[in-house]
Amino acid sequence: MFSLFIENLRISLSSILENKIRSILTSLGIIIGVFSVTLMGTLISGLDTSFEKSMSWLGKDILYISRFEWFSDMEWWEVKNRPRIQPNYVNKIKNKSKYALAVAPVMQRGASLSFNDKNARTEIFGTNQDYMETIKTDIVEGRFFTKNEDLSGARVVVIGYGLKEAFFGDQNPIDEYIKIDNLKFKIIGVLAEQGKFLGLFSVDKQAILPFGSYKRMFSKRGWMRISVKVPEEYISEGLDEISTIMRHLRGLKPSQENDFAINQTKAFEKQYGALKIAIGGTGFFITFLSLVVGGIGIMNVMFVSVKERTREIGIRKAIGATKAMIMTQFLMEAITICFISGVIGLCLAYLFSFFINQFFPSTLPINLSIFSLFLSVIVGVISGFIPSYQAANLEPIDSLRYE
Amino acid sequence: MSLISLKNIEKIYNVGGEEVRALDGINLVIQENEYLAIMGASGSGKSTLMNMIGCLDTPSSGIYSFQEEMVQNMNDAQLASIRNRKIGFVFQTFNLLPKATALHNVEIPLIYANIKRDKRIPIAAAALASVGLSDRISHKPNELSGGQRQRVAIARALVNSPSIILADEPTGNLDSKSSEEIMRLFNDLHSNGNTIILVTHEDDIASHAHRTIKLLDGKIIEDKNQKI
Repeated sequence: MFSLFIENLRISLSSILENKIRSILTSLGIIIGVFSVTLMGTLISGLDTSFEKSMSWLGKDILYISRFEWFSDMEWWEVKNRPRIQPNYVNKIKNKSKYALAVAPVMQRGASLSFNDKNARTEIFGTNQDYMETIKTDIVEGRFFTKNEDLSGARVVVIGYGLKEAFFGDQNPIDEYIKIDNLKFKIIGVLAEQGKFLGLFSVDKQAILPFGSYKRMFSKRGWMRISVKVPEEYISEGLDEISTIMRHLRGLKPSQENDFAINQTKAFEKQYGALKIAIGGTGFFITFLSLVVGGIGIMNVMFVSVKERTREIGIRKAIGATKAMIMTQFLMEAITICFISGVIGLCLAYLFSFFINQFFPSTLPINLSIFSLFLSVIVGVISGFIPSYQAANLEPIDSLRYE
Repeated sequence: MSLISLKNIEKIYNVGGEEVRALDGINLVIQENEYLAIMGASGSGKSTLMNMIGCLDTPSSGIYSFQEEMVQNMNDAQLASIRNRKIGFVFQTFNLLPKATALHNVEIPLIYANIKRDKRIPIAAAALASVGLSDRISHKPNELSGGQRQRVAIARALVNSPSIILADEPTGNLDSKSSEEIMRLFNDLHSNGNTIILVTHEDDIASHAHRTIKLLDGKIIEDKNQKI
């Protein structure tokens, strides 16, 4: 049987090579199908990795109080008149809440930083000593600022790893002075490297100032949020409690809706799940469509091939080929076209995944590669079946007479 | 024991609602190592008869026994096996695979017989040598003359050492010199113990055979032994 297999493979390949243009055109559907299914898989796996990493920075146990929901279908005019989050909420929440382990205000704006002749435009944050508990990053050099430094509005700063590298390279930045919008600050610590959030923007160039200094020097009434850390096993209780405290602080009547938002990473997850379904669904649809169209193309070409080789079929039957052997020969031709198309599609997807890799760390999943080749073989079997069956059941004398 | 036995064979085609009796009650017994010519005008049913004998076609009625076995009761695989191992076809139009070399054309019946490649190649090469084509084994059919092509076809017919050669107008497309060569080849095969069944309408080709039957309108009208 092995001899027959080799012979069939030889026939298939020579038939494909003999009709190069026809074969290429026929295989496009399958190539696109396999390309899209593997690329979609690569994209999703890349997103998954990137998403999980990004989410791990945020932490499941952090509640983010701000004026607006992260993802909301409310209209802008419905929420734009919500009152600001006030700095004095921080201590009130801290005093009233049983669950809050850390409460950190965060104000943020853009600023120009410079050290000697080096400049950078980046984001600066104003926060308190609780901040380190609400993020998942560590200090790699020096220390974070203390409560006293915060309250006294000391001119100290903790910088991101990227900023340290840009300004100091391998030098020790601790106790050096940098200028933020022309005001001098002493560096007391460096944050560990984090990478890009969701592959979109780097957070490694940030500079973190004590809340008091930030307010005094940069912004009294800027945009502000409050990060509250609650025990992981009491997230929903913590959420309820913080919500109650906030409503009280806002002076809302029971009939009034919340005029603030308490966000969680869950919101990201929900949003991300929807995105994944959208990408997956689109990919699936394109794959399905191109495989069906490709399969029909293959079937069509196989019918032509059977017609063209009617005489050959007659000869082969006359010298001893059974129906099953003829059937196998043509089935194998269809499978070979599909399999080669699958491999081409896979190679294209593999090349393309390097491009995607620029945005998310992603690799082509092995399982998916095997699956897509399997899929292309299935398409070959399905689309080759009827033409092969027809070929196998040709009457030998009729096909020998066929001109 | 007879090699081939046909009893009251009929083949009826339905052409445009009209019955055409291509074979009309054929009774024929062929023994091993006979050299038989089937003659008749075109439309007399001689090709149909040959296809029937070669298990390429099935009778509408009657009994066909091949080596005492009923052909009607055989399935596709059994029929294919007979065509592969017992019968070798030689056609007027050679019917070689155009893209395959002479060697590969001869090799194909061996592939269907499931013989391994390292055994197959020497057998096929030997078959080509026996028809005098040792120096042409890697040529494709379009690089060969008509006579050479027909010899490749004969080598292919012989390669599974079938004892029966069925030749349908084997010299019909050949010049007289090539025809002579081919007929000499058939004579040799016959003296080596093979059964030869020739279909022809040429008397000088038929004269090589030892027995001649003549067909007219699907019936045998003459059956004579010329040389014994």
